[in-house]
Amino acid sequence: MNSQRTTANSNPFSRRHFLQTTACGFGSVALNALLAEQASARSNPLVPHRSHFPAKAKRVIFLFMAGGPSQHDLFDYKPRLKLEEGKKPNIPHAGREVTVGLENSMSLGPIASFAPRGQSGMVMSDLLPQLATVADDICLVRSLSADNRSHDQATLQLHTGAFLSLRPSMGAWVSYGLGTENQNLPSFITINAPTDVRNHGSAFLPAIHQGTRLNAKPSGPKDLPIQHLRDLASPESEQRRRLDLLQTMNRELLQRIGGDTQMEGVIESFELAFRMQAETPKLVDLSHESQATLNLYGVGKEPTDKNARACLLARRFAEAGVRFIQVTMDGWDHHGNIRDGLPKMCAQTDQPSVALLQDLKQRGLLDDTLLVWSGEFGRTPWSQDLSGTQPLEKHGREHQPESFCAWMAGAGVRPGLTFGTTDDYGFRVVENRVHLHDFHATLLHLLGFDHEKLTYRHGGRDHRLTDVFGDVVTGVLS
Amino acid sequence: MNPVTVEHSLLGTNCLDLARALAVRIAIVSLAFGCPEAAHAEISPQQLQLFESKVRPLLIDRCYECHGTKQQSGGLRLDSRAGWKKGGDSGPALIPGRPEQSRLIEAVRGRHPAGATSSKVTLSEREIEILAEWVRMGAPDPRDDVAPTGIQAQSPIDRKKHWAFEPVARPEPPRVRDSSWPLGSIDRFLLSKLEANQLPPAPDTDPCTWLRRVTLDLTGLPPTPEEVTAFVGDNSPKAQERVVDRLLASVAFGERWARHWLDLVGYADQLGTVNDVPAPHAWRYRDYVIRAFNSDKPFDQFIREQVAGDLLPASSVEMQQDAIIATGFLLLGEIHIVTADKLQLRADIVDHQIQKVGTAFLGLTLGCVRCHDHKFDPVLLRDYYGMAGIFASSESSYVTERGVWSSIRTSELPEPLWQRTEREEALRQHASKRVNAQNERTKWTNQLAEVNGKLTNVVSSTEPGKALATKDGGETELKAKKAELEKKLSTLEATLWHLDYIEPKATVAYSVRDVDQPADGRITIRGNVHAPGETVPRGFIRVLSPAPWPEIPSGTSGRSQLADWLVRTDNPLPARVTVNRIWEKLFGEGLVRTVDYFGTRGERPSHPDLLDWLATEFVQNGWSQKRLIREIVLSRAYRMSSKHHPEAATRDPDNRLLWRMNRRRLDAESLRDTLLSVSGALQSNPGGPALALQYVENVGGLNPKDVNPVSFRLNKYHEWQHHYRTIYLPVVRSAAQPGPAELRNLFDFPPPTEMAGQRSSTSVATQALFLMNSEFIKSHAQRLSEWVLNQPLQDDRSRLELLYLRALNRPVTDAELEIARKFLDIDTNDDKQRGSWTAFCHALLSSNEFLFRL
Repeated sequence: MNSQRTTANSNPFSRRHFLQTTACGFGSVALNALLAEQASARSNPLVPHRSHFPAKAKRVIFLFMAGGPSQHDLFDYKPRLKLEEGKKPNIPHAGREVTVGLENSMSLGPIASFAPRGQSGMVMSDLLPQLATVADDICLVRSLSADNRSHDQATLQLHTGAFLSLRPSMGAWVSYGLGTENQNLPSFITINAPTDVRNHGSAFLPAIHQGTRLNAKPSGPKDLPIQHLRDLASPESEQRRRLDLLQTMNRELLQRIGGDTQMEGVIESFELAFRMQAETPKLVDLSHESQATLNLYGVGKEPTDKNARACLLARRFAEAGVRFIQVTMDGWDHHGNIRDGLPKMCAQTDQPSVALLQDLKQRGLLDDTLLVWSGEFGRTPWSQDLSGTQPLEKHGREHQPESFCAWMAGAGVRPGLTFGTTDDYGFRVVENRVHLHDFHATLLHLLGFDHEKLTYRHGGRDHRLTDVFGDVVTGVLS
Repeated sequence: MNPVTVEHSLLGTNCLDLARALAVRIAIVSLAFGCPEAAHAEISPQQLQLFESKVRPLLIDRCYECHGTKQQSGGLRLDSRAGWKKGGDSGPALIPGRPEQSRLIEAVRGRHPAGATSSKVTLSEREIEILAEWVRMGAPDPRDDVAPTGIQAQSPIDRKKHWAFEPVARPEPPRVRDSSWPLGSIDRFLLSKLEANQLPPAPDTDPCTWLRRVTLDLTGLPPTPEEVTAFVGDNSPKAQERVVDRLLASVAFGERWARHWLDLVGYADQLGTVNDVPAPHAWRYRDYVIRAFNSDKPFDQFIREQVAGDLLPASSVEMQQDAIIATGFLLLGEIHIVTADKLQLRADIVDHQIQKVGTAFLGLTLGCVRCHDHKFDPVLLRDYYGMAGIFASSESSYVTERGVWSSIRTSELPEPLWQRTEREEALRQHASKRVNAQNERTKWTNQLAEVNGKLTNVVSSTEPGKALATKDGGETELKAKKAELEKKLSTLEATLWHLDYIEPKATVAYSVRDVDQPADGRITIRGNVHAPGETVPRGFIRVLSPAPWPEIPSGTSGRSQLADWLVRTDNPLPARVTVNRIWEKLFGEGLVRTVDYFGTRGERPSHPDLLDWLATEFVQNGWSQKRLIREIVLSRAYRMSSKHHPEAATRDPDNRLLWRMNRRRLDAESLRDTLLSVSGALQSNPGGPALALQYVENVGGLNPKDVNPVSFRLNKYHEWQHHYRTIYLPVVRSAAQPGPAELRNLFDFPPPTEMAGQRSSTSVATQALFLMNSEFIKSHAQRLSEWVLNQPLQDDRSRLELLYLRALNRPVTDAELEIARKFLDIDTNDDKQRGSWTAFCHALLSSNEFLFRL
C-alpha cells in the first residue's frame, strides 16, 4: 500500500498514440534509443531526477564484504591485544554480546604486521598490499557501528537501515531519488548478490527500483548473467516475430477497450526487456577489454578471477550510466582458523577492489563516483573456537557490531583521511562514531539529498532510509 | 510523481528499530517513579525533537544505569528534570545555557569538576556534543513525570471523532433516479453517488468477460471452454446465480481466498528469518485456512480461533484440532528465533503478535505504540502493554539445545482413531527402515574393525617400505577398503539422523498455550526490554471499548477475553476492515483504499454508507463471507464493463465513484494457476506438507552436535508439485521463492515479512523477460499448442476458435483469425507449423488480455 499510487493518466491515449504513430514493428522501436527516451519521459519513474542540491557523486559502487572482515587484522591496530594475547579477554562488555564458542576465548593480537602507508601515513596491515598503495586515495573509517550481531539481520541493516521490518534497499532509494541515466538498463544492479533478496528489494517503493541480480561469471552458455535474459531455444528473428505478434494483440486490445496506464506499462516493460536483452550481453562481454585492463583486475587468474570480473563489470555499468552498482564478495566470516582464512580472502579481493579504484580514477570516473568498501559488521578482539578444543593459533573471531571499519573513495570524500577511534581493544568507538544511519545519511548527502527529505509515504507515514536517525558525517567530506 | 516530498516529520516517524537499537547496548536495570514537578516552560517542537531523538536515548543508554533508580552515583539522578536540577552531592548537574559551567558536561569530558568525579562511561565526541548542545539550548526537558511509562505517562484518550472508531450505522439504501439499473442495495448506494456527480455507470460487460472475471476472482482460475459455452447458452435470469453458487461451492474458492488471508499472516514454510530453518508443520495452518474459507466458517469464529483456539470448547476431535492449529496465526510470521538475549526475543514475538492482531483484525498500526503513545491515533502505551501482558502470558517459543537458537512452540494434536491408526502404521514401517539401517551399520562397523585389525597386523609385521600381501590384498588395498567403509558409515550416520528427524511421531501443529503463571506485564521504556517501567493491568484498546471490557480471570492469559473483545459488536473495526478487504479483492480497490490502515492518517471511505451497510449485513448474516461475496458479485455494479470513458476519466480519474469496473493484472498465484489450467497441466491436490523433507538432499544440519538448527534446501521436489496450485508450494522467507514457485519472485508476491492486505501490481522488465524467455512459459505454450493440435478438428479455424475459448475464454474475432492465419501460414513445413503454433500460443499467453482480468 502506498499513497502515491499511479493514478490514471490524464491523457490515457498517449502511449497508444505513440505506438501507433511510430508505426514500427516492435524490434525497431526497441532499438531506437531516442524514441525510448521520449517514451520514458512520459511515464517512466526512472527518468533522471534532480537532487535537492548539487551533488558530488552521480553514482555509487558499493563493494560489500559479506561475512564481516576482521578490522583487528586489517585496519585497526591495537598493540594491547598483542600484549594480552592468550589471556582471558579483559574487555568491558555487557555480557549479552557473548554467544557461542567462547568458553575457550582469549585475547587475540593482529595476525599480520601493520605499518603507515603513503603520504598520509594511514595505518594498514600487510594483508592488503594493493590497498596500501592507494592509501592516499581512500578515506578509512574505523568507527562504524551497527546494532545487530547476526549476519542476516546486520546485512539487512547495512542495506536497508532496518532489520525488524522490511524496508527498501539503499540502492532502491537512490534509484527512486535520482532515476537513471541509461534507459536500456536497470537503475540498480547487484552483482553476485547475497541470497537474501530483501537486501536489494524495493519494499514499498515501486518495484522498478529494485536491484537486478547479475551473475558475473556464468558457468556456461545456459547460465545467463541476468535471469531469463535470452530465449535459449529460438533464434532472435523468431523471437522478434513472436513479439511483433504479441504487441499487435496488445494494441488491438487497447483499441477495443480504451487506454489503461498499467497495460501501457506492460507494453513498455516488454520494450525495456528487449532493449536489455540487446544491451546487456555487450556490456558483460569482457573480450574487448585490453589485456592490460584484464591484468590490472586479475581477470583469468586465480584466486582473483570471480571478483575481478565483478569489479570490471561494475566499472562498465558505471560508464554505461547505471545509478547504483553493488558487488558482493562473500567469505569473510572467519570464526575459526583466521590465520588461514583471512589472508586467502584478502588475496581474492585486494587486487580487484583496488584495480577498480585505479581504473575509475584513470578514466576520470572517480570524480563523480562514490566507491564504498564495507562488511555488515566487524569481528571481536577476543578469539572464538566453536570446537572448544583448538589451540589459539587455530582460533577465529566472533562477530562484532560495536565497531568496525570501512573505506570510501571518490566523489566528495576526503582522501588520505583516517576517521574515528576505538578503545584500546578495538571494541567500542570512543571518537567520531559513525552509526549505519549516519553512513546512509552521508551517502545520500554525497548524492545531493537531504536524508530527512527524501521520503516516501507508506502505511500512513513518511518513510526515510534513515528512519528517525542519522547525521551526515561532515568530517569525511572533502 | 515527485519522488522527493518535502513533507516529513521527524517525530512522526518513530519506529521499531529504535527499541532494538537501544536494547542491544548497555543493560538498564530498572526505573521507578521520581518526584513529579510542575509543567516545564514551553518547549519548542525543534527542542522536543532534539531531546527525543538524541538526548533521551543517550541518557537512557549511557547515564541511567548509574544515575537512575537503582543507583544514584554521587547522589545524582538523570532520569528526570527534577533530578538534574537538584543535582548530586556537589550541587546542580548543569546550568541551562552554560555547558562550559555545567558539571555534567565537564564530567563526561573526563575532567574533574569541582567537588565531583569524572564520569565512569566514555562518551564519544559526538555524544558529548549532543549533551553540550542540549545544555546550550537551555536544557529543554519534557520529563515532568519520571520516565516510567516512556514518553507520555497519561495522555488523555483523544476522543476527537474519527469515522472508523464510531459505531457501525445501518443506513437505508438511498433513492435513485434510474430505478431500472440497480439490482440490489449495493447498486443503489453506488448509483446515487454517480447520479449526484452526473456520471453514468458503464454498460454491462459481455457475458464472456463477466464469466472470466467472476471465475478468476472467486477461484483464481479461468472458466473452461465448456463452462463458457454453457453460460453463454443459458438465457435464464438465474444464470449468474448458478455460476456464482457453483464457484462458491468449489474447492478452488478456498484455495484462492485462503491465500489472501495468508498475505496478512506473513505465512511461510520457514521458521525465523535466517538459516533456512524449516517449519515442517506450517502447512496445517495453511490447510486450516483453506478449510475455513471453504466451509464458510463464520468470520468471528475464525478470529476467535486464531487468537484463542486452544482455549475454546470443541465438540469433536476435528474441531479441537482445527482450533489448536488456528493459533498458528500468532506464530507463523516474521519472528526472530536466533537472538541470544531471550528477554528481547520474547518481547519481539509479543510485539509481532500485537502488530498482527492490529493489522489483520483492526486495521491499525500498533507497532508504534511499543515505544510511545501513537502519534496519530488515540492508542496509548498503556493499551499496548495491556495487550502485551496477554501475549507475554502465552507461550510462543522455547530455547533449543543448539547454539543460541530458540524455536517456535508446537502442541500435540488430539487424533481421531483413523489418523492414529494410519500414523501408527507409518511408524511401524519407519521403525523397520531404521532397524535395517542400524543392522547395516553394525555390519559395516564390524567389517571396519576387521579391516583395521588386519591393517595393524600388516603395518606392524612389515618393514617400512615393504608391503606384505595377505589374502585381502596389501596395505594399499586395505586402506582403500577402510576409506570406503568409513565413507559408507558416515553416509549411513546421516541417513539415521534423517530417519530420526522425519519419524512420524506425534501429530503436532504450531500453537500457543497459556503459561503456568499468567501475569500483567510492565511497560518498557522506549521499547527497551532492559528498562522496565510501571506494571500495566492486562487489557485492550480503550478507544474501541465504549463498554467495560471483559474481565480476565486469574490464572488465564486473557487471550480468550481478547478474542471476545475483538468480535464484540461495539468494536466497529473488524467488520468494517473485513468487508472492505473483500470489496478490494472484487473491485480492485477498497472503499477505503488504505485497506490495512483505518487510523486517522488513512483514507476516508469513498462510500461510507455502503461500507457500513456491508458491515451490518455481514454481521447480521452470521459473519458469512460467502454470502457477502455472493451479494457483491451478483450486483449490477460488478457487471459493469471496464471500458475506458474519456469524459468520466477526466472527472474521476481514479474511478473512486466506480463508474466502471477496475481492471487488474492477475496476481502471481492466479497467473501461474491459470497458465497451468489453460495448458492442461493442473492437477487437484488434497493439501499436506510442502517441504518434501523426506528427501535427505533437502535437509541439512542433521548432526545433533551442530550449533545451528536443521535447515532445508529444496533441491528436490515431488513431481506433482509442478502441477499443483501455487498456494501449496513452499514459501520461504529469506531467499527467492524456489523451484516451481519462481514466478512468485517476479509478480508482486508479498514477501512473507510483510502483513499485506493488498498487493501492489507492477510492470517491470524482469517480468517481461520471464514472459518472453523462461522455460516455464515456453513449456506451457508448447503443452497448449500440442493440446490444440491433437484435437480431432478439421481446420485451423476451429482450432483457433477452441484456442481462444480456452486461453481467453471468448470467441475469436474475424480480425484475429486473419492475424493468426498470417502468422501460422508462414511456412507449410509440418515441423515449422508446429513451431509456429507454439509461438502463437506463447504470444497469446503473454498478451495483456491473458495477463489481465477485465
